[in-house]
Amino acid sequence: MKRILVIALLVVFGIYLAQALFMLEFGQQFFESGVKDLYLTASPLKLKVANTVTAIVVNFRGFDTLGEVTVLFLATTSMASILYKGRHKLGKRTVLFSASNIVTTGSKFLFPAIILLGAYVFIHGHLTPGGGFQGGTIVATGFLLMLLAYSDYKVSHIVLSVVESFAGITFATIGLFGLVYGGSFLENFLPTGILNNLVSGGVIPIIYIAVGLKVGAELTGLIYIALNEKD
Amino acid sequence: MEMKLFDIDIIEYGFFITAIALVLIGLYAVLIKKSLIKIVIGLSILDSGINLLLITIGYVKGGTAPVFSPSVIKDMPLTMENIKKISEGMVDPIPQALVLTAIVIGFGVTAVALSLVIRLYRHHQTLNIDQIKNLKW
Amino acid sequence: MVGSPVFFIAIPLLVAFIIPLAGYVSKELVRILPGLVLIYLLALSFSLMGYVMEYGTIVEQIAGWAPPWGINLVYSPFTGFLTTLMLFIGLVIWIYSYRFKNVDFEEGKKFFILFLMLVTGAVGIVLTGDIFNQFVFIEITSIAGYALTAFYRGRDSAEASFKYLMIGSLSSMFLLLAIALIYSQLGTLNMADIASKSHLMLPEFKILALIFFIIGLGIEAEIFPLNGWAPDAYSQAPGPVGAAFAGIVVKAGVYAVIRIIFTLFDVEGTHEFLIVAGLITLLVAEMAALKQTRLKRMLAYSSIGQMGLVLIAFGIGTEAGVFAAIFLMFNHAIIKSLLFLSGSYLVYNSSEKFISEVNGMGKYLPITAVLFSLGAIAIVGMPPFAGFWSKWSVLTAAAHEGMFMIIGMILLVSIVELVYYFRIINRIFFFKMEDHIEPKRPTANALIAMFALGVIILVIGFYPGLITGYIHEASQSLLDKGKYIHDVLSAGVLTR
Repeated sequence: MKRILVIALLVVFGIYLAQALFMLEFGQQFFESGVKDLYLTASPLKLKVANTVTAIVVNFRGFDTLGEVTVLFLATTSMASILYKGRHKLGKRTVLFSASNIVTTGSKFLFPAIILLGAYVFIHGHLTPGGGFQGGTIVATGFLLMLLAYSDYKVSHIVLSVVESFAGITFATIGLFGLVYGGSFLENFLPTGILNNLVSGGVIPIIYIAVGLKVGAELTGLIYIALNEKD
Repeated sequence: MEMKLFDIDIIEYGFFITAIALVLIGLYAVLIKKSLIKIVIGLSILDSGINLLLITIGYVKGGTAPVFSPSVIKDMPLTMENIKKISEGMVDPIPQALVLTAIVIGFGVTAVALSLVIRLYRHHQTLNIDQIKNLKW
Repeated sequence: MVGSPVFFIAIPLLVAFIIPLAGYVSKELVRILPGLVLIYLLALSFSLMGYVMEYGTIVEQIAGWAPPWGINLVYSPFTGFLTTLMLFIGLVIWIYSYRFKNVDFEEGKKFFILFLMLVTGAVGIVLTGDIFNQFVFIEITSIAGYALTAFYRGRDSAEASFKYLMIGSLSSMFLLLAIALIYSQLGTLNMADIASKSHLMLPEFKILALIFFIIGLGIEAEIFPLNGWAPDAYSQAPGPVGAAFAGIVVKAGVYAVIRIIFTLFDVEGTHEFLIVAGLITLLVAEMAALKQTRLKRMLAYSSIGQMGLVLIAFGIGTEAGVFAAIFLMFNHAIIKSLLFLSGSYLVYNSSEKFISEVNGMGKYLPITAVLFSLGAIAIVGMPPFAGFWSKWSVLTAAAHEGMFMIIGMILLVSIVELVYYFRIINRIFFFKMEDHIEPKRPTANALIAMFALGVIILVIGFYPGLITGYIHEASQSLLDKGKYIHDVLSAGVLTR
């Protein structure tokens, strides 16, 4: 009975929503002029950042990114708090079955490659699609691979925590420097260089590198907490 | 080949339809399913649906990625008119930036949800939500 | 001025990142840092309030781009008033919980980080001028809330937290949908910009976006029937966290709803909707409170009911109505926090937190009991305490508009409140204590915190004029939509 009611409700909701959305022309923008017009021109001309999405994420809407980084930080803290079991913080892992030789040998080769790819993605965030979040996730995947392949692989909790905190402090401090030297929080205060160079965009790549490291450390920490929770 | 249903071009609006379908499936899982894990998966599907919807709104027909890479600029001088002309053929970058943030936030919430599921399982030895309902209205 | 509005967000975030490192240096540092931050921010907020009362709203741009291209923070008499209130309550709760979890360092560290982020998130919701930014802050507040609800091991805290999480996620979904709809129509995310362009939206989109906003934000603001998560979360969370939810978080939720309705969209019938929704919330919640057998759940339902009253007052829509609503929010934050903090000690050593367990506590915890009773009498609205003035304002505002049925309902509900609060006061002082309960004496810092709240209740009760000036400015600031748009967008040209 409840099932039928819910399905009916969902169908009504879906049709109503679809009806509204179909009024939009797919692929045409409804509004005459929007904020994006400025973003698309100011990014290559004023900020000298080739990847507009990065410019938006780090500069125009950098405040959102600060919030997002905080959300990740909170997620890690919350997970540790919820799963906390007393003095012995981390138990032993449940290992269902050992990884085969192919996996253990292969992952030793893949791991540095994955880390390199991840670092590449977040360092070049302002030049090519990608950036701190994407690169950080790739780095964490590398660690996940190692954790799955070797049941006794250990990652130092302290190192992760320190990297995470330092990266976060860097982000907030750069923002505050922007306030002092530029006039508003998160404003760009370094010279912007030439478009499409590695060194361009002022503080933007620096922030994104910090974000990449932070995300990598946080996600690895998350995985580690979840894997080791069983006593 | 044009497919029309209610006067709508299915191919074109396929994105919207998929996004809405994902949202409905996710909602169904959250509201009806009994296993905690399935509920969390439903939340995840819900997030994906909404994100897909957001990105679809930003699409511009025939547009390219909003990146001014060397292949796009091709030795043109960096003047306002040139850049403006190039940018008119680009997709809206704002929904992409919003979705980036939304995906990360959704991931954070899913992580917290799963840790709660682990703790509930430890406590009650079951994942069935009916058997866990201790708190009454 | 010793700072700018962005400090309200940047400094706590910076300190939150520093706390894990500080933990390796010294354990006391972890407890002290959030307190120092709150003290500094409260002082900053007071000084900024002085400034805006004289010179008008402060609009701060972020990243050097003027709105609507950049995100902006708006510190107006209204938002500033709420910010100061929330920071004050946060500071009081910090004082109260200073010795919290003294035993286990790791847990204490996490508690303070989460608590600081809860307060900061709420302040962010109030100060921001951008709808997506508001969404991000709502998520920050919510995640901190989920973790804090599940803080105690055992009992049913994980279940309450999971329920909160599920409903909270639905709220996020509705918010994102609303944002998507608005962006597709207007191409901007800035609140003032949307307010000035809202007539360009297709009416279907406008209504749908408004509905989605109200559902999404109504979950944070605890409008019936979206508040199912609240009684569980409030009662399972540690005492100070319950006080934070009731005194800080829900205010931010109500603010967000009001900002959408008063500033962003101008749709027929929203005011009537507020009155109806507020009325239903009030009646259902207060009736439920009457039936409760557990102290914290009762306080939670009472809190939800009070928020319903606030919505009614906003719905009346006149300046008198808005004035009453803001006054109610102020009083409720102070009084409800006191009730949660003192109530927490009254049922400290019980696991079920039954109301019967407060029997006879008056003998062993006299100060706590008196403070609790003070809060109870104040919130029902008896003179000469603070709560009286705000209830009176609502009734006069309603009378001005001839809404006599509403006045009748509010009075009826007040009688219900009298009943269930006096039941408790009766038990505290005139019943004999149950055998298996051992009263726990509150620590010095907890007493200071509760005392501070109690003093304010008395002072405002006798001299409401101390605060009414600010509330008048605040209500005018909210009602003047044109001024909001002008203040934010008048920068007009880019800064670079």
